[in-house]
Amino acid sequence: MEGMSYARTPRVKIRELKDDYAKFELRDTDASIANALRRVMIAEVPTIAIDLVEIEVNSSVLNDEFIAHRLGLIPLTSERAMAMRFSRDCDACDGDGQCEFCSVEFHLRAKCISDQTLDVTSKDLYSPDHTVVPVDFSDPSGEESSEQRGIIIVKLRRGQELRLRAIARKGIGKDHAKWSPAATVTFMYEPDIHINEDLMETLTLEEKRTWVESSPTRVFDIDANTHQVLVVDPEAYTYDDEVIKKAEAMGKPGLVEISAKQDSFIFTVESTGAIKASQLVLNAIEILKQKLDAVRLSEDTVEADDQFGELGAHMRGG
Amino acid sequence: MNAPDRYERFVVPEGTKKVSYERDTKIINAASFTIEREDHTVGNILRMQLHRDPNVLFAGYKLPHPLQYKIIIRIHTASQSSPMQAYNQAINDLDKELDNLKSAFEAELAKHSSGY
Repeated sequence: MEGMSYARTPRVKIRELKDDYAKFELRDTDASIANALRRVMIAEVPTIAIDLVEIEVNSSVLNDEFIAHRLGLIPLTSERAMAMRFSRDCDACDGDGQCEFCSVEFHLRAKCISDQTLDVTSKDLYSPDHTVVPVDFSDPSGEESSEQRGIIIVKLRRGQELRLRAIARKGIGKDHAKWSPAATVTFMYEPDIHINEDLMETLTLEEKRTWVESSPTRVFDIDANTHQVLVVDPEAYTYDDEVIKKAEAMGKPGLVEISAKQDSFIFTVESTGAIKASQLVLNAIEILKQKLDAVRLSEDTVEADDQFGELGAHMRGG
Repeated sequence: MNAPDRYERFVVPEGTKKVSYERDTKIINAASFTIEREDHTVGNILRMQLHRDPNVLFAGYKLPHPLQYKIIIRIHTASQSSPMQAYNQAINDLDKELDNLKSAFEAELAKHSSGY
């Protein structure tokens, strides 16, 4: 019995990769793994976000808690988050922001002195730590085209002032969505589409056209030369069953057979910018491994059962 | 005002065990594992992995209540195995699978970034 393994070897193929976007195929595994990965990416991969705000002066039109909430939602670069400590298990401090292991301090000072409204943005947040800064969304290709702008926090008119101290901490999306590194994570089953060619040839060109057009998304097309119906984009299929219903309505049931492959998934991952999309996937795998490790049976549970087991054997034997 | 702290959802309270094991009193080779502060993420992958083990006659999990942050996994095995053995094996196999997945992803990533 020992040494037997039911572990699989999933295959991965990356289709598209950008800093904040990834599209990949995941094969030879099941929906439970795909879904666990998706859930972990959304709710359990840690990032850093502002969690505590001390407002010194606020004469803006927005109240203190409104500004604190807006600050919390600003994505901060969080490559360091995996190695950081949660402030609740940090023993170097009481989570008050004085400790480099679990928190990063930010300062914001802005006062409007002209007649023009002043935009206070995420660029006005200063921290002594260069590894944790508000995410830069400026397009690297369009150099200084529309001046580098951050996320607007509040607008000030003449004489209004905002001065505050903010502490950013490590956290997870399960606690508050501001810590979620994922904008969207989705997966779809890869569709398996089979056209019944013999039955298809009984259709006139006009019938083929109406059938092809019955699909809300462009999954099928007609070859201009051979007038054959072809599957041009299987992944455009949304499992809407429209073409199947259309075939039945035309009196040709079984014209096409569509099923979802149970072991192939197409993932789309979009990141908020806090961490790279590729790193998000890797972190999710790592977190899932840690979670599994945490649910291993502890030694004392096993020992307690061994004793009980002997007792049970006695009882059964006697 | 009396809302529970948000971290209640994922921090195991002091003095509580993460995993507790309870044998079935009536059926041999059947037991339930109560896992504190876990949800469908772990429950479902463990259940599906247990189904792949031919010695497992029954494996299921439930989240008894959305505000009780725990899951219960129930396993019934054939006589040549035991629920504890099946449970440990499922975790080890999933761990291996995730290692495989990680190296597969990293290999693809290396291929992709060297292409530029």
